[in-house]
Amino acid sequence: MSLDLDAIRADFPILSRKVSGGKDLVYLDNAATTQKPQSVIDAMTHYYEQSNANVHRAVHTLAAEATEQYESARDTLADWFGTTRDNLIFTSGTTEAINLVAWGWARSNLNTGDAVVITEMEHHADIVPWQLLAEEKGIEIRVVPIDTESDTLDMEIFSASLPGSRLVCVVHTSNVLGVANPVAEIISQSHDCGAKVLIDAAQAAPHEKIDFTAMGADFVAISGHKMCGPTGIGCLLATSESIEEMEPFMSGGDMIETVTMEKSTFATGPQKFEAGTPKIAEAIGFAAAAEYLSKLDMKVVHSHIRGLATYTASELQSVPGITVYGDHSVPEGSGVVSFLHDSIHAEDLARFMDAGGFAMRTGHHCAQPLLDAYGVTSTNRVSFYLYNTKAEAAAFIEHLRYIVGKFA
Amino acid sequence: MTWPEALQAAIDEFADVFDPMERYEMLFEWAAEVNELPVDEWNDDNMIHGCQSQAHVMCHLEDGQFYMRGGADAQIVQGLMAITCLAVNGRPPEEVVDLEPTFVDEMGLKASLTPSRSNGFLNMFKRVQDEARSLMGDA
Repeated sequence: MSLDLDAIRADFPILSRKVSGGKDLVYLDNAATTQKPQSVIDAMTHYYEQSNANVHRAVHTLAAEATEQYESARDTLADWFGTTRDNLIFTSGTTEAINLVAWGWARSNLNTGDAVVITEMEHHADIVPWQLLAEEKGIEIRVVPIDTESDTLDMEIFSASLPGSRLVCVVHTSNVLGVANPVAEIISQSHDCGAKVLIDAAQAAPHEKIDFTAMGADFVAISGHKMCGPTGIGCLLATSESIEEMEPFMSGGDMIETVTMEKSTFATGPQKFEAGTPKIAEAIGFAAAAEYLSKLDMKVVHSHIRGLATYTASELQSVPGITVYGDHSVPEGSGVVSFLHDSIHAEDLARFMDAGGFAMRTGHHCAQPLLDAYGVTSTNRVSFYLYNTKAEAAAFIEHLRYIVGKFA
Repeated sequence: MTWPEALQAAIDEFADVFDPMERYEMLFEWAAEVNELPVDEWNDDNMIHGCQSQAHVMCHLEDGQFYMRGGADAQIVQGLMAITCLAVNGRPPEEVVDLEPTFVDEMGLKASLTPSRSNGFLNMFKRVQDEARSLMGDA
């Protein structure tokens, strides 16, 4: 079974635009953000045109509609992610979701000397909050290194890091290497040692059906904009036990029960952590994105994206001077392929590709420790999504060969 | 804005080209024309922060006029440095401080002006103007 790519591409209006002097846009920066189908754009526009109001407050018609749509979005997303509405906290994205764990759970549950395990594969969003918390609380950070030969986490060191740890924070799928970590084993081992587990699923949720209940993690952080949704919205999935243990780190409207000048009491459940007027249109757009994906077979989506990455990595290997990072021979992983040319600077290469209509990423991808492990400061990165075609991947390789032939 | 003759000639040369690929190729050629800051003079003090590439710039006064030398590992950034040399070198530092980098736009290289934390050109131009500002007291 395969995807009807013509039909899918027709759902994304931006894919038909021209760039760089009339060239077809080939959008290969999906790990940074994905494009939005018309149904997501329409859902947000319809909300603003017909139902815009603040939620959880007034009794008028629009307020009721807005509240119904916002809370319905929570139901849709909870269902998509295999959990209940009581276990889904809206955030601005993965970064805020991880910070919510750091400042909402870890700050009030960890004590001086407690250990948090992170890995060298993490995005900065899953490194910096723990460093800040370590400064404040005196917790210990244990770092699991990556084996750059196999492009996998050193699981022996991981196992050795667990005794005495209280929280394990691991990226599900690397935004640089496209490598998927053995999440089930990580969760099982961590729980056996009494540690909670936070999974950064920003790069996994777009092409793998995340089932929070089946996965068994204590926390999962997700961004909407990397899976066809709007920017500015994401969620933290958290077990009921974990939510009970959390304290709010942002306060204000919408998260309170009662406020007097002496003392406030807080709402219960997810709302306790959603201070202020929430991201209403964005939540509605996020749910529309999940509804869009729900019409596709996510196993087929995954195979399609991974197939494009495998094909591209294989073709890149035959371009003189190119080094490819990550193991793309395995079915697990994402649509990300990072590479470098040995004489054409990554930034120059990205500009030459842009001149040909190809949008790709250059830089450290907010994962400097990982790049340090490979001895590089930046890479070029292409990342495929469900609307990309093999013809686009082939055109990318062809243009790259032309540039390498001309400038190397 | 009236640009120096050499810069105006470069602007005209770029403005005649409509293919962005060709314009970048021309910048590659311009990279060799920069008032070069050799790699052995690159250090933390003259590094331009916020670039995806390694870029360095040193500036000085000669007879009260401003001069810059630069170097970058990305050839397109170094090409933009060479063009910037045409814009700023030989001017009083007071004029350098007030310059708008619109010559890049006139050359059809507007993408290089995109505000971004990783934009080598804008960070480089700002650094040159900061250097000019600090040299104004020495003029």
